[in-house]
Amino acid sequence: MSRFRFSEVALDRDALAAEMTHPAAGGFATFEGWVRNRNEGRSVRQLDYQAFEELGIREGSRIIEEAIARFRLIDARCVHRVGALALGDLAVWVGAASEHRAEAFAACRYIIDEVKHRLPIWKKEHYEDGDSGWVNCERCANPDPVHVHEHGRRVDPTPAGFPDYSRQVALREVGEAGQRRLAAASVLVVGAGGLGCPVLACLAAAGVGVLHVVDGDTVEASNLHRQHLYTPADIGRPKAEAARERLLAMNPMLRVEAHWQRFEETNADALVSLAEVVVDCSDNFRTKFLVNDAALRAGRPAVLASIHQYEGQLQVARPDLDASCLRCLWPEATRDGLVGNCAEAGVLGPVPATLGALQAMEVMKILLDLPGQLVDQLLLVDLLGQETRRLRAPRNRDCGPGQCVRLAKPGSERARPQLELSLSLQDAERQGYVIIDLREAQEVTAEPLPAVAHRHWPLQELLMEGPSQLGGDTRYLLVCSRGLRSRAAAEAMREAGLNEVYSLAGGLSGAEPGPARAPRTCS
Amino acid sequence: MTGIRVRYYALFREQAGCQEEELETVHTDLRGLYSELAARHGFRLQAGQLRVAVNGDFVDWSHRLSAGDEVVFIPPVAGG
Repeated sequence: MSRFRFSEVALDRDALAAEMTHPAAGGFATFEGWVRNRNEGRSVRQLDYQAFEELGIREGSRIIEEAIARFRLIDARCVHRVGALALGDLAVWVGAASEHRAEAFAACRYIIDEVKHRLPIWKKEHYEDGDSGWVNCERCANPDPVHVHEHGRRVDPTPAGFPDYSRQVALREVGEAGQRRLAAASVLVVGAGGLGCPVLACLAAAGVGVLHVVDGDTVEASNLHRQHLYTPADIGRPKAEAARERLLAMNPMLRVEAHWQRFEETNADALVSLAEVVVDCSDNFRTKFLVNDAALRAGRPAVLASIHQYEGQLQVARPDLDASCLRCLWPEATRDGLVGNCAEAGVLGPVPATLGALQAMEVMKILLDLPGQLVDQLLLVDLLGQETRRLRAPRNRDCGPGQCVRLAKPGSERARPQLELSLSLQDAERQGYVIIDLREAQEVTAEPLPAVAHRHWPLQELLMEGPSQLGGDTRYLLVCSRGLRSRAAAEAMREAGLNEVYSLAGGLSGAEPGPARAPRTCS
Repeated sequence: MTGIRVRYYALFREQAGCQEEELETVHTDLRGLYSELAARHGFRLQAGQLRVAVNGDFVDWSHRLSAGDEVVFIPPVAGG
């Protein structure tokens, strides 16, 4: 049985408690909500509760699961009455069992507060004076309680507890038809980080019907200053899951699908096929090219943004309009590791927040067919100078019709010799690899390489000198802190004809034997 | 000598230490101009790793400079 349910009949508190006995439970706390005889100065004699049960059970169950995870409970339950209740009746019952009492007390408080705040439940109060009226659930009543009396004068066209879109419907270009268009739309957001959070928040609040969130990471404390969908309680949780929960709390009318996985060649086409517009909020070029290419193959718009310190770039690939794409602008040789990334460079929250909001704006322009869409352009945004400029970026002249799509053919069609190795530096040394440390001098000083024979050869020097100096029968293993620069450099050496150049997967921070990690900078 | 204005973004701005500068150059092509500026400011990206726009249009490296042009050097950025 679901841990949250509604009941049309009186609750039996002993039976409910008995369901929760467990040998490991050292603490068991309950909360009971009763029907009282007064509300806001009026004498109440009876109550009717109504709930949007389907949504209520879903959201209620989610609240219980949250409480179990957050307070490490053994079990938790909540039952809410619907129907007619008399004074003194038990209206809602919450039980929480845990090893120790503190968690059980805290969980009861959490569950009842969230239930009152998030569930679509209404009560009709019957007063001693014969009048009666519907009282909104706390979520919609807060902060200004609204009583809609049966013979009252206020009529709210939006169901209580759900967003009211009247402020955007009022725009002539949006209107009711535009709002229906948004409700019918589906958008895939790749990366739920600094850019992804504002994109998702804007689209969810605006009522975009289906949102797909793709992110393989978990929430870290260092994300919170700019990734505003998350709280400290989310640390360690999959971002896709935490984002989904938060977005549904913001707008329970939506469908939000969490995809806790990296966007890779193997799942790119399947993911892009789920939505009509794709938003790239990733933090590395490898993923950006994958998103761009999958969007080209599917013929769907892709809204791409990147930031660097106080600046950002925004581009919209429009294969549906035969317009320029990411590849028209940047050569395939554009690789992570060759340019600064924001884990090293640092970032202020408002920068991705601004670029993410701009991405959401472009998505809504596309969905609502608004004027001023970015096509064949790159928008440069400088948040220090508060300056934006649109640069014209037409289709690459070397890109004939269909050329972008040809370049974007699935990676599986291309030969992919192994580039990254997962092994310890000691094993690499034993196996005869010449180890090359690509890091800058100050990084080497801060974190010296473990005691293995190696050569220090900073990235930019290797890029220039490597092709003429490496070679022969030697196998080389390039090493940096996280495996981004070494991979980019190894790819460059392979292109220069040196086939025995490899990159240490995950860099020094991931140098233990294990699966290769996808590149990360500052999602 | 050709009088032009150059604007920098992202790591170019850090390395040049300014957002823009007006300068006279003996070069009439972008490649020559970039080499000159790379030597002066210590830019380490190679021409193939960045893009350049002149007067609001992305152009390729063979583009010829004219007096009064506004040249923008744009490195790729990938932060998110």
